[in-house]
Amino acid sequence: MKTAPIKTKVLTANRLSDGISVWLGANGEWVFSIKDAFLARHEEAVVAIEAAGKQALDDNRVVDVNVIDVEETASGPRPFRLRERIRAEGPTIDYAPASPARVSQAA
Amino acid sequence: MYRYDEFDHAFVAQRVSQFRDQVERRLTGEISEDAFKPLRLMNGVYLQLHAYMLRVAVPYGTLNSRQMRKLAHIARTYDRGYGHFTTRQNIQYNWPALKDMPAILEELAEVEMHAIQTSGNCIRNVTADHFAGAAADEVADPRPYAEILRQWSSVHPEFSFLPRKFKIAVTASERDRAAIQVHDIGLQLKKDEEGRLGFAVWIGGGQGRTPILAKKVKDFLPEADLLSYVTAIMRVYNLHGRRDNKYKARIKILVHETGVETLSAEIEAEWSHLKDGELKLPAADIAAINAYFAPKALDSRAEGWAELAAWKKSDPDFASWVGRNVAPHRHPDYGMVTISLKPIGGIPGDASADQMDAVARLAEEFGHDEIRVTHEQNLVLPHVALADLEPLYRALLAEGLATANAGLITDIIACPGLDYCALANARSIPVAQEISSRFGDPARQAEIGDLKIKISGCINACGHHHVGHIGILGVEKKGAELYQISLGGSGDENASIGQITGRGFEPDQVTDAIETIVDTYLAQRTGTAETFIECYRRIGAVPFKAALYGSEAQAA
Amino acid sequence: MTVIWTKHGIVENDPWIAGDAEKAPKLLSLADALAHAQDNAPFGVVLQPADDVMALAPILGQVAIIALSFPAFSDGRGFSQAALLRQRLGYSGELRAVGIVLLDQVPLMLRTGFDSFEVSHAPTIARLKDNRLPGIDLHYQPSADRTEAGQSYSWRRTAIVNG
Repeated sequence: MKTAPIKTKVLTANRLSDGISVWLGANGEWVFSIKDAFLARHEEAVVAIEAAGKQALDDNRVVDVNVIDVEETASGPRPFRLRERIRAEGPTIDYAPASPARVSQAA
Repeated sequence: MYRYDEFDHAFVAQRVSQFRDQVERRLTGEISEDAFKPLRLMNGVYLQLHAYMLRVAVPYGTLNSRQMRKLAHIARTYDRGYGHFTTRQNIQYNWPALKDMPAILEELAEVEMHAIQTSGNCIRNVTADHFAGAAADEVADPRPYAEILRQWSSVHPEFSFLPRKFKIAVTASERDRAAIQVHDIGLQLKKDEEGRLGFAVWIGGGQGRTPILAKKVKDFLPEADLLSYVTAIMRVYNLHGRRDNKYKARIKILVHETGVETLSAEIEAEWSHLKDGELKLPAADIAAINAYFAPKALDSRAEGWAELAAWKKSDPDFASWVGRNVAPHRHPDYGMVTISLKPIGGIPGDASADQMDAVARLAEEFGHDEIRVTHEQNLVLPHVALADLEPLYRALLAEGLATANAGLITDIIACPGLDYCALANARSIPVAQEISSRFGDPARQAEIGDLKIKISGCINACGHHHVGHIGILGVEKKGAELYQISLGGSGDENASIGQITGRGFEPDQVTDAIETIVDTYLAQRTGTAETFIECYRRIGAVPFKAALYGSEAQAA
Repeated sequence: MTVIWTKHGIVENDPWIAGDAEKAPKLLSLADALAHAQDNAPFGVVLQPADDVMALAPILGQVAIIALSFPAFSDGRGFSQAALLRQRLGYSGELRAVGIVLLDQVPLMLRTGFDSFEVSHAPTIARLKDNRLPGIDLHYQPSADRTEAGQSYSWRRTAIVNG
């Protein structure tokens, strides 16, 4: 029996030791780029990544575990929520500190 | 400023060991995240979108150069070379690893700093007027009392698991630069008819989802009764504050639901048991803490007057910087210098490690080794001779720290927002950057005059949008960012909560909307002497709504 | 496993295990305690966070033990209840923390006047058995525990070793 189509999902979390954003990869390891995340395209796969997330939480490897919806694009999975896109890509601002060369202080 | 004695050093060392043990137990899995979270928060450690965040306490915003250099060192060594100064006079780092936290705290302890109670449902860093000890208009320095409160509240056994966070602010002037009316407890140091020091006490102010201004519960609390009375407030709140809903758990809701008269009667009843007990402050102890804050011995530097006049004449940029960023000091030959952390198009409150080092060096050279962090996310050198302003300005200019915009439209408060914060619904920093860039022209800013814009990326209101003359609140609507604008808020002695103008604006419309509001003000004001907030209070919201929404508003 | 711990170690055969109604029939709610205060049988009271401890004042002399409940780690009302019992009402009998009792609360509970603890969390039990408490023995405020005032500011206290 074919399961109903669902939005593709990936599993994300933050690593316990340093808080860095991670995604569950195809080999079951946590990876640093959403591009390398395992894409759960049907219910069984979602159940599997949820279980993997629960296990990693219980094993105290990660915290803040969430399954998120993504869109599959040519450049890789793209989360629907802005929050998750920012988690995947980093701050949207040029957060390196202001330097006199880069920032006008004409005022 | 206050210096640690042996007791303080030993206490902080033990607190660091305690936290090291807690972190180790977490990393080994002995304690769960649920149990660890309140423990890490009580030591300023959050989990944000990309990493942990560490908030370091700057008690009542006062720092010396050595401490600032340590903050720079931590930014370089454990973070990505910068830090973010906050609306509660603290600094936060966006990228430290949990496993490094104990080492960072040990480094901080070396310079008499810590992260104790910078988050969590406990008594937070006690804030104070950033011009304390230098302002001409203060009754006395409020910081000794903030320091007494800091000590008393540190790892308080009874008040470490309150219904919600608890913020205390102290000021000592009629002009409120510490926003005491939007704090859980606001204290205004004052003198009674006999000249004795005490406090007017406000409780139940706060922002967040339900912004409420504080209510005065005591017109004059003698200074000796400070700790006993605050204990009575805390005990009544701890026992009776709501715990069923985190959005209703602040003391402001207890005050609102109980009624200020009933609640203050309960506080009085509790206090009657405490006031003559062991919390009564002996005059000798108050004097001993005050001695740490004895006014600086400032040499007469009368030559500065003529020099300053000449420099201003020859350099209009310098003159406008002095005009905006230097305020009169108690000593006529000195000024209080605001170092803007709001470069045009920059990130409000951010400073690089190099900039922190530069400020430390300049504070030593020109500022009697004293630095303040303001709740408006700037730094202050409170004691600079007028004769030193020009070389200080040149040095700040070289570091990108001489933006002449204190109190102007580009001096924007913004929370970190969705670029960093796990609680945020929308971004704040890019909004601030775009407004700052649009209005960056010095002449245009000067024409607009005093105007406070405050931006929060969620309802928790860390960016103080409720008390912005123009407040901006980012929300998430149908998966996209939307910004509500409010007008008429103020966090000073004439505090008010801003009123929402109407429907929200999409990200690319916000700056246009601000421009519409500013143009409306410029068209409506009676003259350049009438500031934005004065004009708004005179004419009300209607002209602004009409300008923003046109016929839609008239129909409504 | 649930154990009772005091500063003297694990208590064997404690009669008041609150979690077990069969074994501890004499640990009464506040309302029952007030109603049954005339009985001669020894009884204890278990208070919930919303209970008014001052209501115990008339029967305090008859109470063998008071247990204060911590339904959640984050619910700190029991700390104020304990302080009031010790400092306002002068209660000197056994004061027990029950419910969610985890290691890092214990030093604060000891300070506010608790002297026995019903603990179920295994790592907490292990640390308590070893007497490795994560406390700080310098305090910036007086509380219900026995401390020394020392020479410093009036609000400061230091722990009494073995106190």
